[in-house]
Amino acid sequence: MKTKKISAGHVINYILLSILAFVCIYPFINVLAYSVSGYNAVLSGRVTFYPIDFNLEAYKQILGKTQIWMAMKNTVVVTILGTLLSLVLTILAAFSLSRKDLPGRSFLTGFILFTMYFSGGMIPTFLTVKSLGLFDTVFALFVPQSINVFNFIVMRTFFKNIPESLEEAARIDGASYMKVLINIILPLSVPIIATMGLFYAVGYWNTYFDALIYIQKPELYTLQLTLRSLLFGEVLNNSGANVEGIGTQVMSQSLKMATVAVSTVPILVVYPWLQKYFVKGVMLGSVKG
Amino acid sequence: MRMYFEKTAKKVWGYKWVYLMLLPVITYYVLFKYVPMYGVTIAFKDYNVFKGITESPWCGIDVFRKLFKSKNFWNAIRNTLMLNMSTLLVSFPLTIIVSLMLNEVRSRHFKKITQSVLYLPHFISWVVVTGIASNLFSMTNGSINRALENMGKDPIPFMSSNGWWIVTFVICNVWKEIGWGTIIYLAALTGVDESLYEAAYLDGATQFQRLIYITLPSIKSVIVTMLILQISKMMSIGLDAPLLLGNKKVAEVSEVISTYTYRLGIEKAKYSDSTAIGLFQSLINIIILFIADKFAKAIGEDGII
Repeated sequence: MKTKKISAGHVINYILLSILAFVCIYPFINVLAYSVSGYNAVLSGRVTFYPIDFNLEAYKQILGKTQIWMAMKNTVVVTILGTLLSLVLTILAAFSLSRKDLPGRSFLTGFILFTMYFSGGMIPTFLTVKSLGLFDTVFALFVPQSINVFNFIVMRTFFKNIPESLEEAARIDGASYMKVLINIILPLSVPIIATMGLFYAVGYWNTYFDALIYIQKPELYTLQLTLRSLLFGEVLNNSGANVEGIGTQVMSQSLKMATVAVSTVPILVVYPWLQKYFVKGVMLGSVKG
Repeated sequence: MRMYFEKTAKKVWGYKWVYLMLLPVITYYVLFKYVPMYGVTIAFKDYNVFKGITESPWCGIDVFRKLFKSKNFWNAIRNTLMLNMSTLLVSFPLTIIVSLMLNEVRSRHFKKITQSVLYLPHFISWVVVTGIASNLFSMTNGSINRALENMGKDPIPFMSSNGWWIVTFVICNVWKEIGWGTIIYLAALTGVDESLYEAAYLDGATQFQRLIYITLPSIKSVIVTMLILQISKMMSIGLDAPLLLGNKKVAEVSEVISTYTYRLGIEKAKYSDSTAIGLFQSLINIIILFIADKFAKAIGEDGII
C-alpha cells in the first residue's frame, strides 16, 4: 500500500543525497582531472571537473619510476599473502569455536575476545615482532595482525547459523571435520568469505603505520610509504622555487595526483564487484554473536 | 567422578582434529598478543635495550610519576578527547540523518548508486586522503584557496592554523566514514514494521510525522547503543589520521595519545615512557567500557561487552 505520489519532501531528499554523493566522489574526479592536465592549467587553478590540455605525461613519468613498481610489487605480495593467511586463520578459528559442544570452547573464545579489550600496546608489540626476527621483512606487515577479532566474530556467527543437519549427515557418513569444513561449510559461506577477504585486502593495501615502523630497507617500501614520501617529501624541496622551480612544482602536482590515482585504482576496480556482498557481511556483524 | 573424566577425555579425543585446527590460531594469539601483554612490565622498569625486558631492573611507578608531571602527556590526552568529541558531534547526528534520508528513497536504483558512492571513501587509505586534502586545502596551491583567490578573498589556512586544522580533521573524518556509518542504521531500519506506516498513513499522518513517531522510536535502541559505544572509545584515536594530517605548525592540537606514543617510543626510543602511556590508556579504556556497559544495561539496552 505504498503511495506513488511524489511530494516536495522527496524531491528535496533526492537533491540533498545527490549533493552528498557528489561531495563524496568529487575529490576523486578532481584528482583524476589534475593528473591528466597540462602545466599551465594546473598552475592557474582552472582544473576542476575535467582535464584541461589533456596529456598523460604524469602517468608516463610515474610509471617510469622503478620506485613505484617496487612498491607496487611489495604491496601486492603483502596483500595476497596477508589476505590468504588472515582468511585461513579466521576460518579455522571461527569453524573450531562454532562447534557447540567443544570442551573448553568458552575459555578459548574468551582467550581471543580478551585481546579486544586489552593489549600490550605499540612498544611491547614492536619489541616482540623485532625479537621474533620479523623486523625489516615483509612478514612484519601481515603476520602480527593477521586475525581481526571483529571479523572472527562475524564469521563465527555465520557458521553457527548453518543448519546442523547438513553436517551431521556427513559426519555419520564418516567425514572428518576437515572434510566437513571444506565440502560443506565453505561452499555455503562464499559471501561472508568474500566480504572478509575484501576487508582484509583493503586493510593490507592501505597499511601505512606498520610499514613506517617495521620497514627500513627502501626496496621493501610499500605503496603507501612511497606515496607519502612522493606526496610530501617534494613539497619541502620545492618551497623556495624560482620560475623554473614553479614549473617542476606544478609538474609534481600532476605527478602527485597521478601517483594517488595509480595507488587507488586497484581498490576502485574490485570495489563494485564485492559491494553486493559486504553490506550483508557488516549487517551480520551488527547482530551480536 | 572417574566416569566424568573418562567421558570428557573421550570427548576431547573425538575433537582432536578440531583442536589441531585451532593450534595455529592460539599460537598466533600467544606470540603476537599475549607476549606483548607481558611486555607492559616495561612500564615499571628502567628499560635497557641490552638487558631486554626480563633483565632490566624494576623501578616501581617512577615512570608514571614522571609521566603525570609531563605537560605533553596531558596535552595529548586533551587533544585526543577534543578531536574525538568534535568528530562525534558532527558525524553522529549527520550519520543518522543520512540513514533516514536513504531510507526514504523509493527508487532502488538511485539508492544503490548513492550508497555505493557514499561507502567508497571508507576504503581509501589515509595517505591518499591527506594527499587529496592537501590538493584541496593547501594554502599555496589548494583548489579551494585558488577559488577564494579568484573571487578576491583571503586564503584560509586550513592546514596551518590550530582552529582551522581541527575543522579540516573533522571534515576528512566525516567525509571518509559517514557513508559507512549508515550501514548499521539502515540494517535497523529494514526491521521496522511496515504495517505501522500503513496504519499511520490511513490515519492521515504526514511524512514528517511518520518519521518522528514511528521511524525514530523504532531505531532508538540502536542509536543509544551506538552513542554509548562511540563515547566509550573517546580515549582511543587512530594513528594514521592525526599523524598524516598533522604538521609542525599545528602540533599543539594535532599531537594525540597515539602519535605521542609513537614519537616517544619509536622516534626517541623511550620504551618505558611510551609503554606506560599505552598501559594508562588501556586501563582508562577498560574503565570507561565497564561504566558504559553498566549504564547501557541500567537504561534497559543490551550491554556492549
